[in-house]
Amino acid sequence: MAARAIWKGELQLGKHNVGVKFYSAIEDRSIRFHLLHEKDKAPVEQHIVRKDTGKDVPKEEMRKAFAVGPNTAVILQPEELEELVPPESREIELLRFVPASAVGDQWYERPYYLGPDGHTDDYFAFGEALSRKEAIGIARWVMRKKRYLGAISVVDGYLIMTTLRRAEQVVSFSGIEPAKSATPQANELKLAEQLVKSIEADFDPEQWQNEYRVRLLKLIEAKARGEKIKPAPVKKKRAEGSLADSLKASLAAAKEKKVA
Amino acid sequence: MPSRKRKRAPEPEPEEESSSARVRSLWSGTITFGLVSIPVDLLTAVRPRQTAMKLVDTDGHALGRQYHCSKEGKKLDYDDLVRGYETDDGKMVVITDKEFESVAPEMSADIELRSFVPLEQVPALYFQKPYFLAPAGKSAKAYVLLAETMKRTGRVAIGSFVMRGHEYLVAIVPDNGVLRLDTLRYADEIRTPAAIGLPKHPKVAAAKVTQFAKEIEALTHKELKIAELEDQDAKKLQSLVEAKQKERDDVIHPKGAEAAEDTEGGESAKVIDLMEVLRKSLSKSAVVRTAEASEPINLAERRAQREARSATAKKKTPAKAKRKAPRKRARRS
Repeated sequence: MAARAIWKGELQLGKHNVGVKFYSAIEDRSIRFHLLHEKDKAPVEQHIVRKDTGKDVPKEEMRKAFAVGPNTAVILQPEELEELVPPESREIELLRFVPASAVGDQWYERPYYLGPDGHTDDYFAFGEALSRKEAIGIARWVMRKKRYLGAISVVDGYLIMTTLRRAEQVVSFSGIEPAKSATPQANELKLAEQLVKSIEADFDPEQWQNEYRVRLLKLIEAKARGEKIKPAPVKKKRAEGSLADSLKASLAAAKEKKVA
Repeated sequence: MPSRKRKRAPEPEPEEESSSARVRSLWSGTITFGLVSIPVDLLTAVRPRQTAMKLVDTDGHALGRQYHCSKEGKKLDYDDLVRGYETDDGKMVVITDKEFESVAPEMSADIELRSFVPLEQVPALYFQKPYFLAPAGKSAKAYVLLAETMKRTGRVAIGSFVMRGHEYLVAIVPDNGVLRLDTLRYADEIRTPAAIGLPKHPKVAAAKVTQFAKEIEALTHKELKIAELEDQDAKKLQSLVEAKQKERDDVIHPKGAEAAEDTEGGESAKVIDLMEVLRKSLSKSAVVRTAEASEPINLAERRAQREARSATAKKKTPAKAKRKAPRKRARRS
């Protein structure tokens, strides 16, 4: 079943305008509930009220205020907020291209697949060029009245635009040098590397699933049929000892597992 | 045990942190790596955007949300609420707190590392939210060892842990000597080009690819430019607010804690200085620097505001926390 595009835009690159359609790359699988009144199972209504009096406030009397100090805020009138809305545009401005490693994972917010809108050739040619250059593009655009920043990359020939967090949000480090006392010994490093190698694997996301979601859905289905289900609890373990001993013991355990 | 009174996700509330290294500790536990245990604190690695506003009426009185029964029309307390799931055929299935607890993951203080995978194999699509892990034990040796080993081998750890009633799939990534924990999406949450219905890759003219490659080259740089990534919305909002404040236009002085505070922090979260923690636990002489130019705007004001808020927050009764839990939409997973 083909998904619906949420937005259409044009990548602006030199003399080229590449038309693209945005599709969410994320499937929302969260289970949504309605809030009900326990007594009569009637749905709840949300009221916006004055905190001091508890009186309902009609929508046209609601305003937004921006706090500027402990006891000071500035009310922004609807028409002022309207003026802050960026002008609509189909343009996706490409600011620069950087090596993929220049963007840490902490910048990434939400991914969208881009599909071709019109010139399919241009779309795939741009993708091939981007993948050949091993680069990602930093982009800026306005979508549905909001400003976005994004990183455009290629996976299997398809373009992906991942929205980026703002610079003010990202905390990062440029360097940390541990003290001598915290610096691991050569033998510890060697053991740790062996341990890493012993449980080395390829990234295989299919093997993990949100078990809570599965159990919750089962429970809902069972209840819908009027049944009850029993949960299966999970066990855990813990070990103590010196770092080198623990590494050795873990290594031995990992080896056993491999042989078995 | 997790219950509906808990928040559904590790979601830092807006408007709380601001200085470059003040972050909140959300969880404390242990990384288990074979039989090695590494005590850690989980800290926020992302600050909220500075565009958060609060709802007031035309006179500046603080507004809040209340739940009312649609049948009886009267106000409800949070304890009067239950969650109902609407099935496809329109039936409402009520799930009680006890039932939620019966399926919740068992509380655990372990981040269990399951395997080590090459970093480049984890597609950016999977990364959801970053956190920092700070060493919490007496010795940071095992922490440093894990970070160093991952860096040397080019591997990141895949594991899972439980926080606030939810189990998270995570990648632990070394980041300049610090361990970062990134929550990952599950595979079934990620769409494929085929599922979306994107067209098959056609053969494209080599000349066209070369043209694009040239255009890419012309715009290629080694690094990001932080100035390009700053929050334009926040800046515009801020300057409008400043202009109005100067003209004393629409300036209000909401009184008391209720007014100053309504984007509350996690009830039990402590705000700590990440740099200080790292400096203490890793080394007295550790060199810790933040990325240049990622300072949030209007720092001094924000700090004053936060301090005032935490001062008033202390005076509050614990009963307050209860009312905070409900969200507009009742999400459970």
